[in-house]
Order: sequence, then C-alpha cells, then structure tokens
Amino acid sequence: MAEVKYLTEHYDKPEYRTLEGYKKYGGYEQLARALKMERQKIIDEVKASGLRGRGGAGFPTGVKWGFLPNNGEPRYLLCNADESEPGTFKDRLMMERAPHQLIEGMIISAYAIGAHKAYIYIRGEYTGPAAILEQAIREAREAGYIGKNILGSGFDLDLDLFIGAGAYICGEETGLISSLEGTKGQPKLKPPFPAVQGYLRKPTIVNNVETLASVVNIIRDGAEGYRKYGTEKSAGTKLFSVSGDVQKPGTYEVPLGYKLMDLINNECGGLKPGRKLKAVIPGGSSAPVLTAAECENATLDYECMQQLGSMLGSGAVIVMDDSRCMVDILSTITHFYHHESCGQCTPCREGTGWMEKIVHGIVHGEGKPGDIDLLLKIANNIKGRTICALADAAAFPVISFVTKFRDEFEYFIKEKRSKVKGTKIYAPMHH
Amino acid sequence: MLQCTINGKELEVKPGTTIIEAMKLIAHEDIAHYCWHPGLPVAGVCRLCVVEIEGNPRLQIACNTQITDGMKITNQSEKVKEAVKWGLDFHLINHPLDCPICDQAGECELQNQYMKFGKYDSEMAEPKVKKHKVVDLGPRVVLDSERCILCSRCVRFTDEVTKTHELGIFNRGDRSEIGTFNGRPLDNKYSLNTVDICPVGALTSKDFRFRQRVWFLKEHQTICTGCSTGCNVKVSYNKEGLFRVKPVYNEQVNGYWMCDEGRDVYKYVNKPARLLDAWMTTAGRGEWLHPLTAAKKVGEFLRAPENKGKSVALVLTGQHTLEEYEALISFFKNEVGTDRIFHWVNNPESMNDFDGLLIRGDKNPNTKGLLETLERHGIKTEWKELIDGLSTGAIRTVVVAGPENQAVYPDFKAKVLELSKAQKLVWLTACKNEELERLQGDVTLIPLKTYIEKDGTFVNYAGLRQTVKKGLTVVANAMSLVEVAEAFKGVDVRPEEAPFKVGVGRVNNEATLQRGSL
Repeated sequence: MAEVKYLTEHYDKPEYRTLEGYKKYGGYEQLARALKMERQKIIDEVKASGLRGRGGAGFPTGVKWGFLPNNGEPRYLLCNADESEPGTFKDRLMMERAPHQLIEGMIISAYAIGAHKAYIYIRGEYTGPAAILEQAIREAREAGYIGKNILGSGFDLDLDLFIGAGAYICGEETGLISSLEGTKGQPKLKPPFPAVQGYLRKPTIVNNVETLASVVNIIRDGAEGYRKYGTEKSAGTKLFSVSGDVQKPGTYEVPLGYKLMDLINNECGGLKPGRKLKAVIPGGSSAPVLTAAECENATLDYECMQQLGSMLGSGAVIVMDDSRCMVDILSTITHFYHHESCGQCTPCREGTGWMEKIVHGIVHGEGKPGDIDLLLKIANNIKGRTICALADAAAFPVISFVTKFRDEFEYFIKEKRSKVKGTKIYAPMHH
Repeated sequence: MLQCTINGKELEVKPGTTIIEAMKLIAHEDIAHYCWHPGLPVAGVCRLCVVEIEGNPRLQIACNTQITDGMKITNQSEKVKEAVKWGLDFHLINHPLDCPICDQAGECELQNQYMKFGKYDSEMAEPKVKKHKVVDLGPRVVLDSERCILCSRCVRFTDEVTKTHELGIFNRGDRSEIGTFNGRPLDNKYSLNTVDICPVGALTSKDFRFRQRVWFLKEHQTICTGCSTGCNVKVSYNKEGLFRVKPVYNEQVNGYWMCDEGRDVYKYVNKPARLLDAWMTTAGRGEWLHPLTAAKKVGEFLRAPENKGKSVALVLTGQHTLEEYEALISFFKNEVGTDRIFHWVNNPESMNDFDGLLIRGDKNPNTKGLLETLERHGIKTEWKELIDGLSTGAIRTVVVAGPENQAVYPDFKAKVLELSKAQKLVWLTACKNEELERLQGDVTLIPLKTYIEKDGTFVNYAGLRQTVKKGLTVVANAMSLVEVAEAFKGVDVRPEEAPFKVGVGRVNNEATLQRGSL
C-alpha cells in the first residue's frame, strides 16, 4: 500500500473549494443521507468505524460522543482548527482545499450529537484558511445546509467561525473553550469534562478538523468501508505533515499502519543526498523523538508508536538527518514550550522556563556537569503534574532528546561546542 | 456518608467532600497547598496538594478530587513527598527570597511550608525572572510581582466574593503577573482581604507595611465594632499599640472576610487618639484629674438631693456593651431617679442599609443590645424631649456616654452643640475631641476604655450575642461604663494599670510617610 486519496480524493481540483465544485463530486449527498438516519445509528457507525481523534490524543471519537449526558441541556459542537502543534499543517490543507468537506462533516456530527450550535475555532495565524472557510460557510448557509430546517429534516444548526489570537494552549480543548468563551485561553480543571460541562458550562464535543471531515466518508462507506484502510486498532487513513530533512516535505495521506520509512523514502523522496537519518519526531514536537534505529520498523499507527514510547500525535513527522545538532533542536523546542506555557500551574510555568534556561545555557557554552540529570529531574517532575498536557508536551522531548542523544549533550557541555560540525546556534541568549 | 482512609485514619465524610477538606478540616492532617482556600472556588493550579490514591498510578490533587466510598488516600508516601518537594521548588526558583525586607516574613506560607515539606538545597543556578516591584494596585494594596506565586486567590476573591473583577493575571507562562485593568484600581470595600489570603508577601497592606515585624506582635481575638455585623476579628498589637485587624472565620457572622473600614477601627484605640485623664471645669477653672476622682465627684453631684431626679438626662449610643448599659441605666433609674434616658442615633436614614456582603448602615456594634436594655427597663423616649427639656430648663444635667468611634458619627459636632446647653455636661469618652475640649462652662470629661480593654457582650444586627474579652490596656485608669457606674455610687473601683508601659504608639512612621514612588 502506498499513498491513498481517500479523504483527499479531490484536493487537486481548485473548484472543490466552492460549493458548486464540491457538489459536483458528490458533496452534501452524505448529509442528506445522514439526516434521514437515526442519530444513534450515526454514533454507532462512527464508533464501529474505529475513528480516533486526529488532533493528537487519538481518543475514539464515537466513545467521546457517547459521554454526552442526557440532561436536556443545549449541546455544542466545536471544531478544533487551532492546529498549533509545531510541525503540523494538515488541517490547513483540508480547510484550504475542501472547506465544505469539514462543514458537511460538522453538520452530520452536530446532527448526530444533537447540537444546534457549532463553532470552528481557527488559530489567528490562519488568515487564508479563515477567509476560505468564511466564504464556504456563507455559501452553505445560503444553500440551506446551515440554518433552520436543514434539507427539510427539521434539524436546525447554526455554524460560525471563531478566529483565535494564536496560542498553542488554545489547541487544548478546555483552553479552546475558555478562549471561545471570551476569557484568557487557559485550560480548565477536569473533571468536569467538556462532554459534561464545556462551552458555557454546557455539554460540548470538541473534535479536530480531520476527525470531523472523516465522518463524511464514514457515512458514505459505512464503518466497514472505512475500515478498508488502516489496522484493527488504528482504522482509516491519516494525513501526515512531513517536514525537515526530506526531499519533498508536504502533507501525505496514507493508511494507518503504513511504514514510517516508506513514507520518508517513497512519498517524501528520501533524505537529501549523502545524508544519514538521525532522528524522527513522529507526531509533532511534543512526541518523544525516535532514533534512526527505532524508525527502522516503525509503522504509523497508534499501537506501534505507543510501543516505541512515542505517540502518533497530530501526525507531524519531523525528520532530522545527521547534519542536525540535537542540543540546538531541543533548545528551540524548550523555547517554544516556555513561550507557550499558559502560566496557570506552577510546575509547568516555572519548569518550562527553567528547562529552557538550562538548555540555552548549554548551547551558549555555559553548560554545567549535572545539567543533564537536572533536566531529567525537572521534566519528570512537571510531567503529569498539571491541569492540561502542556507540561507533558514540554517534558517528553526533553526526556527523549536527553536520554537518546545523551552523548551530544555531554559533548556540548564539556567542549562548549556542538558535536555536529558546522552547527550554527540561532537561539538567542535570554539572560 | 462515605468511608475513607486518610493516612491510615478511618474517616466518615459527607458525599461531595473533597480530599483536602477531609484532610485539613476533618482529619487535621498536614497538607501543603497554596491556591486552595475554603472560601474560594477551586483553582487547582499550585499542584502542591498532591495525594496518592490507592489504585491510581497518577498523583491527584486533593482540592479537586471528591472522596468516593472506600477511598484510601495518603500524602505520606515517598512519591508524594518528592512531588511536594519539587512543587515547592518550582514555587521558589523565581521567588526573590527577600525575606529580610518582606512584610510577610514570619507568617509566610512559603517559609512555613518549606520548613514543613521542603528543607532541600535548590538546584536552581540560572538567573531568576525579573518582574515589577512596588506596583500600586489601589488605595490600600501594594503588589510585588516577583514574590507572587500566582495562586490566583486574590483574582478569585474579586471575581467571586466582591464580584468587582478588578484583578487579573496578565501575560503568559513565567512572565505572568497580577494586575488591574486599565484605569481601574483595586478599590473596593473589601480589598484588604486579598492581602490576608495572599499566602506570600506579594500583596501587602499600605497601612501595615514596614510598620512591624510580625513576630513582635501578639494577637487578641475580638469583635469588630465598626458596624452592627459584628465580624469576628483578631487585632495584632504590641507595647507600641495596635497595628492591624484581620478577620477570624465565623460561619454565622462573617465567613472568612471583613471590610476595609473595619480594619481602621483599631486606630482610635491607640494612645494618640485617646483621652488620657479626666478634665473637670469647676467655677470657670479647668483641671486634669484622676478619672476615678472625677467620676466620684460627678456621682456625688448626681446623687445629691438638690440635683437628682428628672432634671438629669442620660444619653447613650449603640457603641457600648450590654453590661455597661445595664449598669449605667440601673444607676440612673435607681440612684438618680430619672428615666430620661435617650438613644443617640447617628445615622437614622441609613440604619437599615446593607451592601449584600458584610457592611451594614448601622455603624454601631450594639444598637440592638441598647434597644433591648431600654425596652426591658420600660424606657421610651424621643430625642425631641431632650432638646425641649434643655431649652425649657427642665433638664439641667446631661451625662453622655459618647461614641467610641467618632468617625462614624457625622452629627458629632452638632450634638455637642445641642447638648452643651445643659447647665452641667458630663461626657464619658474614650477619645479626645476638639469640640469637647473647646466647650465652656461646667463640663467634665472622663476617659473610657475601648472595646479592646474590657469584657462585655455585643448583640449584632441579627440578635447574635457575642462576647469580647479584655485584650490589653492602652490607657491606664480609663474606665468602662460599669466602673463609671460603680464610681458614681461612690465605690473605689480599682484603677486599671497598663501591663506594660504603653508608648506613644505610632500611627505613622517615617517608612510609611516617605515611600517616594508610592
């Protein structure tokens, strides 16, 4: 199996972006079908399809929908289009090329869970996709896909676009909810979970762009049809954003269970000439890094990545060859998490800054013996100690980089220069 | 009821109880925490109150975890101890550790919890984050952002208790700082509670900062006499006088809070505001007398057959204790033979005001007690009768038990003028007053004890009787109304001696006056 065009079948056609073009290729037909189905049937179908959240956590979507309490309160569907995990750019492609696919998926999902109000929360930097989505929402509204009594089914749905201000933390679902509510984008304590008390303290489902778009295909092909791709536990296809030291970086759709090295060597055209693979971050900057040896037999699915101690995350594959200094890369990553920590929980607020200072100290020749162990101690003590997973996201790369490439760190501390010849340090000195 | 085990102790708790409530309030176990406060909603951000729950591999925070039946909880395990140690270190790595010049030193939770749960060597060698110092948040509160641990208690207080929303956390990550929204200072009637609940020295009171080290202060628990709510408070004092007032938890009265106005009540107790000796004018010549001597002289006068009877009037305010009212009213009824006893109401139009939280319009701690006592003695008088009596000459002698807190008596000056029409005016007062000192004619001033210096009972707006105990003596020889009544009868009451030499008392010191930027 190689690259597939399942979700991205018509992405090469410019008119697919418009309502007319989308309908030409069967757009909104699944909506019409879904609106005639029973709600529970749709949820069951999504459950049976094995679709797992494509935003990063990989939580089974149908199960998440099942958490909504039957208490008669209004429900909300939120689409997480914040796509803030470094290295990820697949949702942008989906929104740019097929905004109606997302909208159709959202209307079906909203119908299934009984929500009459839905929002797409898009990050502030995505001005292009936001404009495209706005246009698409307008078209869909004019055509009667959004609004009262959609396609005569009696189902009402209002759908709006909300543009965030651009913060990593607003991609965390409760941070997103806070931001959407108009307060500072900070995660909320769980419990209560959003499915019980989310947006405006009402039952809320937050799903990623790719997840919601996949719902259209699940309705079209049924759970069995969807399961044609992927593995038993990781069903379907997934979009991977490949960046770094490959010949052809970009977004590729492959079935889950696809071999990581095949993605790099076949779809992405392999490494640059004369270079050797050093490491790959398989699921966005927060996923623990894999060494070249670990990549050897790695497959792109939730189970294999978990086995390797990493995660599939958002599907952002960052490839590093032997010209990269791991200390330098970690200094960029620690800088990012320090900058993006919301500052609510003390371990993350103080720990991310501390880790950045230590790594920056090393790359600026001020490393001290003991820094490596201290980094590990800090990372292990912020991990799992906070409201949201940002501390984990900051700790995982530190732990994996320092453990798997310890020699490079030790060399840098001792020699006050990188083990990789020709490394230029771009990280600014912070103090 | 739910069964649970906390550090090996078997416990029974109500459904809905969180682990921290059970640990702190029921089991009385030590648990580290900063952001949790029983009077505020849970924030769950300091991450210090971690506990280990049997069957759960991840440590949980005690403040946001409700107890379920059969739960086995411990915070004594090595895993928890290590987590708390690191949690503390994260709080301290960017803290300036300027304890020697910090007002919170001695009552700082960072110090306390470090001594309890920390005692490690910090590995932080990197430079600390710099933030704003001496931030003027409002008329009463100053912020030091570097000391702040961002527990958000103060923010939650203004959001949830006063609902004035002045405070917020600005910026992100370790650049976060508490601040006020543009042009809106922290200026509400309860702003100093933020200083109380601040676990560190980040928020300090402008009134108290730099005036005393807390370890030189003693505490005395009493009742706030600032209004008829009767908040439970503690005053901090030493030989220089009283320095501050803080609330004490009482579910029935004030919960965890008190108002800013009530914090100023201590100021008139200190010596500079007080009348120290009795002043008596006889035949145009005034002289300072021992209060007991003066009181006995007045008593002789009142009891003399030619003076006693209905020509004597007594004026009372809602500022004294039940026992005092009883003693003085009995004396006037039985020994002087007058029922012309009047209630001086300082603010009749706003008596029933209430701000919805604590502050009441009746600025007297014991109006209810006074009314009760008057009713029991069958006394029904109108203020008009007193004025008429003075102008017709039917009332010749007036004895006034003046208000302790003159600041809440806007009609003080007017009343002094009205009552000075009496041929003989005896004014019992705790504090000095220019109006009184300027009075001509037959005037006697006798110094009274304040609420800190005597035992007694106050009845608050709701009829709740609260007893205060004597804390300290500020003015030697000052008398309570009970003692005054005794002295009026001719009894030699034992004069009060100050337990230690009370100094002049600093209302302001140089540090508070010359703060430059503030």
